[in-house]
Amino acid sequence: MTQRKIPEPKPLFIERMQALLNPADFKEYQEMLKIPPVRSIRCNTLRISPEKLKERLEKNGWKIKQPWHKYPKIMIVEGKYVAKKEIEDKEKDNILNNQFNNSENILDDDVNNKSIPSEARLILGGGVGKNIKNKNKLLIDLEPGELGRALEHQLGYYYVQELSSMLPVLALEPRPEETILDLCASPGSKTTQIASSMKNTGAIIANEVSLARIKILASNLERCGVTNTIITKKEGSALCLRLEKSNLSFDKILVDAPCSGEGTLRSSHKTYLMWNIKTIKALPRIQKSLLRSAIDILKIGGTIIYSTCTHAPEENEEVVSNILNEFGNSIKLEEIKLPIKPREGITNWEDKTYNSQVKKCARIYPQDNNTEGFFLAKIKKVRWKNI
Amino acid sequence: MLQILNKQEKQEILTELEEQFGIKEIPGIIVKRGEERLFLFQGSFDEEKIKLLESAVPIERVGIYFAKIQEGRIRLSIDGVQLFKNQITKNIFEIDKEQAEKWMHGSELDIPTGKRGFIIIKHKNDFLGTGKASAEKVTNFIPKNRRLKFRS
Repeated sequence: MTQRKIPEPKPLFIERMQALLNPADFKEYQEMLKIPPVRSIRCNTLRISPEKLKERLEKNGWKIKQPWHKYPKIMIVEGKYVAKKEIEDKEKDNILNNQFNNSENILDDDVNNKSIPSEARLILGGGVGKNIKNKNKLLIDLEPGELGRALEHQLGYYYVQELSSMLPVLALEPRPEETILDLCASPGSKTTQIASSMKNTGAIIANEVSLARIKILASNLERCGVTNTIITKKEGSALCLRLEKSNLSFDKILVDAPCSGEGTLRSSHKTYLMWNIKTIKALPRIQKSLLRSAIDILKIGGTIIYSTCTHAPEENEEVVSNILNEFGNSIKLEEIKLPIKPREGITNWEDKTYNSQVKKCARIYPQDNNTEGFFLAKIKKVRWKNI
Repeated sequence: MLQILNKQEKQEILTELEEQFGIKEIPGIIVKRGEERLFLFQGSFDEEKIKLLESAVPIERVGIYFAKIQEGRIRLSIDGVQLFKNQITKNIFEIDKEQAEKWMHGSELDIPTGKRGFIIIKHKNDFLGTGKASAEKVTNFIPKNRRLKFRS
């Protein structure tokens, strides 16, 4: 397994995760945090078919795996094949040191040895295979940023997106001709995924409050050829209120809420440093407000996916539980069908007991599926409130 | 306020695109920003609904940037070229792999194309945007954020 040096998690974070997981799970979780996430991409079917993209990338020497039969557009790049001679030539140029001469004996600790150039660090762990020698070819890891530098990326043929980040849209199940609101849209990974599922038909309102982030969103929509989307700039709850006053409603809404980001620790070490219990206690007010406002502009029979990339129950089950209690029988939670193994939502945390329906939520832990961490709730509006 | 092109204005754009590149149809609504930037929206909201939305919330973009009016002609963006690739029949210039790499790094091509004005650059099945051909070279318009980066 590829091991990396990671910052020391804050004691309270460890304590909270130990409360969420049993000792064996927690150990696995800790080990998984040391491994970078797999390199995953999503084929942009508005530009190219998964078959053609896979063929192209394989011609470029990349090893591609499609982990989920039902979703061929989702791919993992396991590495790239390079000619053994190419490596040997670099070796001659003193790019490689003696350690690589024993490449088959490279151990986990060696992978992060900076004296080995990135090109030559063989793929280990992280769910991306092993040292594979194929006659005259070696499978090596991609360089940092290589996915984003490829021609196919610049032409919008794929989007670099972590596997768990693709789950909210799979759960939302967008269909052609629907009207969908993506309430917290930037940088656009999920908006482009929704547009791809809708085949650029229907309409998407992609909202973002920050102008800087709107530029990133707009750039990604352009690169992916998304033509069915209107970008709005408004604080999410205020946007919903305005839309409601204008009698605009939606078939489906994605509330991918701002969160403390505990689930992103494998890819973002800064989250270790930024983690703060005060943030976790403050965010639910915003999250509840977003979700509550979104329900108000959802059509009867419509669906909301509420998602975060954190494990904190205050930002997840507690938000959903409060909303369930507030809206009563006008909404209900639905089972979420995912191509990976989720765990059910928790009903007790610290001294609180949540609405029993939250068991239907999906908790995604990194150690269960070799992804990052995520949380999803699928809410269906069955009738108007107070009727 | 959004400047949604009316039927006649849209027709003028289409006439120009047909003359330049053979494009015969532009499905969707064209929105103009400033004097020259054109955006294409192909969603199900009609003009009335877009105006209703605009009256309720600040709109930053409708659809995507696909073309620019430049020197009285239309220059398609790299994404505009991809959107219309199945319709483009005129002023296409095919380049080889080495030239394509140079092009996607943002370099102009020092080659005579036998054409003048805006041309569509193509390598195999990839449509690589628009260039401006003069006697000896093709000027590159690939935006910086879409260029291939040299390895550091």
